[in-house]
Amino acid sequence: MDGSALSYFLMAWFDPWLLGLTALGTFAGVYIGAIPGLSVTMAVSILISFTFSWDVNEALALMAGVFCGGVYGGSRTAILLNIPGAPSAIATALDGFPLAQRGEAGRAIGVSTVVSVIGGMLGVLALAIAAPAISDFALMFAPRDYLLLAIIGILLVGSLSGESLAKGVFAGALGVLIGMVGLDPLTAEQRFTFGQISLLGGIPYVAAMIGFFGVAEALVQLHHLKATPIRQQVDRILPSWNVVKRYIPLSIRSSIIGVVIGALPGTGGDIASLMAYDHAKRSVKKPSRPFGQGAYEGLVAPESANNAAIGGAYIPMLTLGLPGDAVTAVIIGALFIHGLRPGPMMMIETPHLFWFTVGNLTLANLFTLVFGLTGIRIFAKMVECPRTVLVPLIVVLSVVGTYAIQNSVVDIYWMLAFGVLGYFMKMYGYQVGPVILGVILGPLMDVSYRRAMLSVRDEPSAFALELVSHPLTLVLTLSVVLLLARQTPAWTTMQARIGRWRNDGRTGGA
Amino acid sequence: MKTKLLGAAAALAMLSAAADGTAAEYPARDLQGIIMWGAGGATDTVARAVTPLAESALGKQVVLVNKPGGTGAISTAFVAARPSDGYTLLYGAENPQLHKVLELSQIDYADFYPVNILAHGVAVIVANNDMPWKSVKDLVADAQKRPGEIKMGSTGPGGLPHVVGALMKTVIEFPVTPVPFDGEGPGITALLGGHVDFMPAGLSAAAEHIKAGRVKVLAVVNNEEISALPGVPPITADFADFGKYLPWGPFYGVFVKRDVPDAAKDKLVTAFKAAATDPKFVDLMVGRGNIMMNIAGAEADEFLKKWQSTTAWVLHEAKATKASPEQFGIPKP
Repeated sequence: MDGSALSYFLMAWFDPWLLGLTALGTFAGVYIGAIPGLSVTMAVSILISFTFSWDVNEALALMAGVFCGGVYGGSRTAILLNIPGAPSAIATALDGFPLAQRGEAGRAIGVSTVVSVIGGMLGVLALAIAAPAISDFALMFAPRDYLLLAIIGILLVGSLSGESLAKGVFAGALGVLIGMVGLDPLTAEQRFTFGQISLLGGIPYVAAMIGFFGVAEALVQLHHLKATPIRQQVDRILPSWNVVKRYIPLSIRSSIIGVVIGALPGTGGDIASLMAYDHAKRSVKKPSRPFGQGAYEGLVAPESANNAAIGGAYIPMLTLGLPGDAVTAVIIGALFIHGLRPGPMMMIETPHLFWFTVGNLTLANLFTLVFGLTGIRIFAKMVECPRTVLVPLIVVLSVVGTYAIQNSVVDIYWMLAFGVLGYFMKMYGYQVGPVILGVILGPLMDVSYRRAMLSVRDEPSAFALELVSHPLTLVLTLSVVLLLARQTPAWTTMQARIGRWRNDGRTGGA
Repeated sequence: MKTKLLGAAAALAMLSAAADGTAAEYPARDLQGIIMWGAGGATDTVARAVTPLAESALGKQVVLVNKPGGTGAISTAFVAARPSDGYTLLYGAENPQLHKVLELSQIDYADFYPVNILAHGVAVIVANNDMPWKSVKDLVADAQKRPGEIKMGSTGPGGLPHVVGALMKTVIEFPVTPVPFDGEGPGITALLGGHVDFMPAGLSAAAEHIKAGRVKVLAVVNNEEISALPGVPPITADFADFGKYLPWGPFYGVFVKRDVPDAAKDKLVTAFKAAATDPKFVDLMVGRGNIMMNIAGAEADEFLKKWQSTTAWVLHEAKATKASPEQFGIPKP
C-alpha cells in the first residue's frame, strides 16, 4: 500500500464526522440486526433515499457500519431467544440458544462478539490483499458448481436432524417445498400458487425462519410457564485469551469459507454460516460439548463466517461492480445515485473508494467489538424475565418483524402457521433447522441444476463429463463423493482396518 | 367513562380525517410509493433517485417500499387494491405490459395513469471476449452453423434478452440456447466467467464492463449509433428488417390508479416533471445509458400502448406467450 492508499485508508479514522457516522451506523446496525425481520438489506436501502443529498463518503461510511453491525447483531436474538435476527444467524441459534438455557448467555455473546470481529477483520484483510484474485476465482463458478455447493450444504441435514435422520430428511423436504412456491425463476411458470396473486411472489423465507424458530419456540415454552427462569452468569463475559486462542484455528478456517461464499455472486452470509457450522461439526473432534447442546465451536464457526462474508461480498462489488450478496447489490444502487459508476473501471476512475472502504470496514469492525461487548449484561438478564412476560414478547417481536419484511399481512399468517407447525414438529421430535436449510438451498439447487442442464442442452452424459472435466468442478465433485462415502459402512470398515494395520505395524516393529 | 372517552377520541379522529379529505389540499399527508422490483435493482435505483426531487415539489414525503415478486404482479395488484386517492404511487418498469399475455395478472398499465415515464433504456448485444465474433452477423452465421450450441444469457420470459432474442428470430433464423439467470447482473456475471457466450443486455447493466474491455459489444439494438457508445454499429446495419421494432427498450415510470381525482394527478405530474428535469437526475439516468423521456398523460399512454402491441405480438409469434394478445384487445402493430 503506497502513501495515497494509506491516506485513503485513514480518511474515516481522522475525520470526526465520518468516524461518528461509522460508529452510529454500527450501533444502529447491531440493534437492527438483532430484531428479526428488520434486515440489513432493508436498512441500507432506506439509507439510500436518506443520504441522497449527502457526500458519497458519508453515505458509504454509514452503510458500512450498518452492514457490519447488522450481521453481528443477528446473533443476539439467536442466542437469547432462539430467533435468528437475520438469516445469517440461523446456524448461531443451533448452539447459541442451548448455551443461554444453560445460563451462559453472557459468555456466549462475548465469544460470538470476539470471533465475529476476528472473522470480520479477516474478511477485510482478504478484501485488501487479494480482491482481484478472489473475484476472478468467484467468476469461475459455473451453474454446475453452485449445484455442487448446494449439495454439500444440503448434506448438513444429517447434522441437523437430531435423533432421526428420516425425520430430518422429511423436514428438509418440507423446506424445499416451501421454497418452491411462487414463480418458477427460469420460466415464470406458477408453482403451488393455486392462482392466488399473493402467492406469486413466493413465501418469504424470513417469515418461515421467524415462524419455525421464534413462534414455535414460544409455544414450546408455554409448557414450562411455571418453571423458574435460568439464572444467567454474567460475571465472566469477556472470554480470556486462552479461550479465544483455542478457537482461533477454527475461526480462521470458517472465515476462509465465509470470504469465498460471500464473494460468490449467488450466495451470501446465510449459506456461508451454515457451511461453516457443518465444517466445524465435521472437523472438530472434541468439542466443548456435543454439537447442538451448547458447543462453543458451533457458535465460533458461523459467527466468524458470516462476518468474514461481508469483506467477501465487497470483493466483486469493488473490483467488478457485481454484487456479492443482497446488501452489496443495494450499495451498488447507492453508488449509482451518487454519480459513481460501479464496474471494473471504478478502481481506476475513483481510486480512493477502495482503500476508503477497506479503512471504513476495519473501523466498523472495531466499533462492533466495542458495542458488542457493552450492554451484554442487560441483554443476558432479558432471558431471566418470567416466561409469562418473555413469551408474549417473542410473539409480538415475531409479528412486527414479519410484517416489516415487505409490509404484507399475508406473511404474518404464514409465519404464525409455520409457528404452530413448528411446535408440533418439535413435539414429535422433528428438528426445524433442516426446514430452513431446505428453504434456503432448495431453490439454489433447483435453478443451478436446471441452468447446468440447459447449458449442456439437457444431455446427461455431457453433464456427467462436465462434473469431472473442469478442475474446480472436479474438486467439488470429489468433496461431495468423499462426504457421502464417509457415511457408508465400507468406509468405516476400511478405517478400522487401516487403524488395525497401523497398530499391527507399530507392535510388529517393537 | 372509558368508552365515552374512546368515543370522543374516535369522533375527533373521524372529523379531522373528513376535514383532510375535503378542505385540505392534496397532498395533505405523506404518500406511499410501491417499487415493483427489489432493493438494488434498476427500478429501485431510479425510484430512489427521483423521489427526493419530487418530494420537494410535493411538500410531503413519499415513503418507499419494495414489493417485489411475480415480475411486478404483486405490486400492481397491491396498488390497484388501494383507495383511488392519489396517496399510493407505483414505481414500475415495463413488465406489467406483458402480464396479460403471460397469464401472470389481469392488471397492466391500462389500469394506471402514467404520472411520468421517466426514461427508457437501450439494449446492446455483448459477447464473451474469447468468442471469435466481430459483429452480430458473425454471431448469427456461427449460430446457424452449430444450431443450439451457442449459449445466450437470459433473464427469463418477458425479460429484455428474451424479447431481443425473439425479435431477432422474427428477422432471421437464430438457433441459440437461452440460459436464464435471476437478472441482468447475474447474467453478465456468467458472461464474464464464460458460462454463457453472449447476452442481449440493457446498456445500463453492461456499460462499465464494455468500457473496461471485459466483454465485447457487437451491436446496439437501435436504428442509429448512440452517443454513449461511439463506433458501435446499430443492429440495423446488419439486419435492416429489425428497424420496424425500434426504438425498443425497457422503461421506468411512476403511476397512480386511473380514477384518482384530476387535481391530484395534476399535482403529481407537475412534481415529477420538475424532478425528471433536475440535472442531477438526468445525469444519473443518461450516465447509466438511458434515454430521457419525461412524458405524462396521453403522450405516455400512447407510448405504453405501442410498446405493448410490438412486444406482445412478437412474443406471441415466437410462441413465448400463453394467451393471444388478441384476446385482450391488444392491436397488431
